[in-house]
Amino acid sequence: MRARGSLLLALFFAAASAGAGPADDRFRQANDLVRAGDYPRAVALYGELARSGSESATLYWNWAQAATARGAHGEALWALLRARELDPGDRAVVRDVERLRESLNLDPAEIAPEPLAVAGRFAKRFRLDLVAAALLVLSLLAHALARTRLRPGGAIGIAWGALVLGLAAAAVPGAASLARPTAAVVRRGAPLFDAASPSANPAGTLREGEVVPVLEASGDWFQVEDNAGARGWAHQADVKRLDRAPAAASQD
Amino acid sequence: MSGRLGIGRVRALLAAALLLLPAAARAQFTLRSEVDARKVGLQDQIQLTLTVEGSGAPDEIPLPPLVNLDAVAGPFQSSQVSIVNGRMSQSRSLSYVLQPRAVGKAEVGAVHAGGQSAPAIAIEVVAGSVRSREPQRQDPFGRDPFGDPLEDFFGRRRGRAEAPRLLMEAQPSRTRLRVGEPLLLTYWLYTQTSVTDLQFKEAPQFAGFWVEDLERAQGPPSGEPATVEGQSYRRFPVLRKLLFPTKAGTLTLPASVFRIGLARTGFFDSGGSVERTTKPVTVAVEPLPDAPGFSGAVGRFRATASLDREAVPLGEAATLRFRVEGTGNLKWIDRGPELALPGAKVFPPQSKSDLRTTPSGIAGSRTWEFVVVPETSGVVEIRPLAFSYFDPAAGRIVTAETAPLALRVEGGTVAAGLAGAPVASAVARATGALPLRSDLGKPAAGVLSSRALIALSGLALLLHAGLWGAERLRGGSRGALHAASSRSVRGALRDLERAAREAMSKEQAASLVEKALDEAFGAIPDADESERARVVRALLDDVRFVRYAPQLGDYSDKLKDLAARAAEAVRRWA
Repeated sequence: MRARGSLLLALFFAAASAGAGPADDRFRQANDLVRAGDYPRAVALYGELARSGSESATLYWNWAQAATARGAHGEALWALLRARELDPGDRAVVRDVERLRESLNLDPAEIAPEPLAVAGRFAKRFRLDLVAAALLVLSLLAHALARTRLRPGGAIGIAWGALVLGLAAAAVPGAASLARPTAAVVRRGAPLFDAASPSANPAGTLREGEVVPVLEASGDWFQVEDNAGARGWAHQADVKRLDRAPAAASQD
Repeated sequence: MSGRLGIGRVRALLAAALLLLPAAARAQFTLRSEVDARKVGLQDQIQLTLTVEGSGAPDEIPLPPLVNLDAVAGPFQSSQVSIVNGRMSQSRSLSYVLQPRAVGKAEVGAVHAGGQSAPAIAIEVVAGSVRSREPQRQDPFGRDPFGDPLEDFFGRRRGRAEAPRLLMEAQPSRTRLRVGEPLLLTYWLYTQTSVTDLQFKEAPQFAGFWVEDLERAQGPPSGEPATVEGQSYRRFPVLRKLLFPTKAGTLTLPASVFRIGLARTGFFDSGGSVERTTKPVTVAVEPLPDAPGFSGAVGRFRATASLDREAVPLGEAATLRFRVEGTGNLKWIDRGPELALPGAKVFPPQSKSDLRTTPSGIAGSRTWEFVVVPETSGVVEIRPLAFSYFDPAAGRIVTAETAPLALRVEGGTVAAGLAGAPVASAVARATGALPLRSDLGKPAAGVLSSRALIALSGLALLLHAGLWGAERLRGGSRGALHAASSRSVRGALRDLERAAREAMSKEQAASLVEKALDEAFGAIPDADESERARVVRALLDDVRFVRYAPQLGDYSDKLKDLAARAAEAVRRWA
């Protein structure tokens, strides 16, 4: 029985190391491609890593560097925004988002169309989900203790306080979940069509780097609304969602 | 040309200023006695003017006692009201024409009016006439149709006795200087009468000079006494200009012709205007020495340099400010220092000035701002920047140097590449300076979804409700005992305290104790054999005994004892 447990443990660590190793290697390989100036291949490799579940703020940071070096500033801004979604506490990312926004002549509101998304980043940065869960459990324990023969002083007060704080903490990410998903325009002059089809009529163009709410998704198309209020359909090669990893490799 | 006179502006300015000519007083009310000459011939006439300024002046001013003089005309009265900068000033003048009686000493006595006084004036009378005949002022309308009808009868005008005494002078601050050195040119008006207007008839041309207008002094114009060829005047600076010679040699400031408007001095006087001409001014200008790098600045200056930041990420720009401040001809100097930095791109500078014209020159600063974009990481050294100028006090060219500076260039950022993407990319390719992160890091830690949080919150609320309900149910199963104890233990204790303390009948006291026990413990089941039940039952028996026992003695001690035991039981078990 004991030998069986050890075997399972060894298999677990082996599987874990096997899973992490290739991702790190491919990440380093992508970085080498960037240093060599082969930005398209590096970006493609970063994309594969992201889709394979190896998303991290670091991955998107380097992706942004490669995109910038290639002159794809909208894509760089998207990568930085995605990095900020994953790690809202990364100050370097936040700083470069601002610089890039200013360089693209975008208003702050043009990259933050959903105010509730700020609450989501706040909740993520300070792990309000875990805080809320801990407080709710604490309130239950205190309440249960208050109902025993021991009846420690203040148990009921602790139970009520923890319950209120826990519900408040849970309300922040709860409210953030009401925000609409957003996407960033990664290509200059990205067209906005009146239907989800390449043969549809162009209804306008989107500003590079602008963040737009995604109203609907249909295949490779997103229905979006730009900051001027114009609604239309944009191809996912032109706009990339901020709430999830890219669905397909970027078109180079 | 910046120094060209705005004739209309000068005219308005001087008119406003000279209307205040008689108003030299500073008190609320002043009295002044003046004559237009202290030495006259027996055939000459003297004009005596008594002037009061300010408020509270008396209506009448007596003619002062005259020694060896006769008043042959007057008084001619004139009033002036001026409003300058919102302040109103008022002056009134009485003029007399005096005729000497004999050669020798004459005197206009002291004047006293309204508590003020003006001193006596001594006059010397000589034989003949000492006054030159000045040309009659020009009257554009010829003879005044409303002129004095008695003029022909008396053979002379009865209004203004003679041409007014007015002079204009152009006075340079120096007549020998270097190219680029400032020269202050002041135009003075010397006058013995009130002037209403002054303007250039011929604007002066300052060929060979750079001209700067000086700001007019704040406040009302103030004159000062002056004597020219034995005549007393008040003189006013009507115009000041700062001239910078732009070439060497003997330069001449040509004569300027002014047209001066005169105030009316009497009912029959129509005022009018006269013309006065300044004398030409000659200035000797020496050339400047030449030296490599000489900026052309003349004066005293100090040079400083600064960076807007000590460190800058690669690809971002820093601003280098080179500032020269001092007094001299800084306004001329447009060319900044040459700046070339290895490892950085330097854009042509922008020049900013903060200069003001003062009588001693143009003071202030001029700043050249260079945008510096480093092209490599490390430290960009900025060597001292030099500024050469001619110091007139030292008589030679002096070079001022700034302190050396260093700009630290750190690893670039994403935004750094935006300054010029193709260039930045090339630089990045060449230097590998992109700030890549080497560690992939852990995948982003998962968070509880909002659904999970809502579910957790709901579950917590349900469990709380369950705990509360279970407690309620548990209390119900234990019967009324618990319900009663939780309802009003404090009330029971208060009743027991009253029963022990207050004077009441034994029935009332016993009833109160029984009520308290009932509230605290409720009904005690017969099957309950716990200590608590036994104690409560014993208490109730004793209470009922006291309550229904005949009144054969004092039960107060017994009731106090019962109340104390009941309170103890309540505190212990309720």
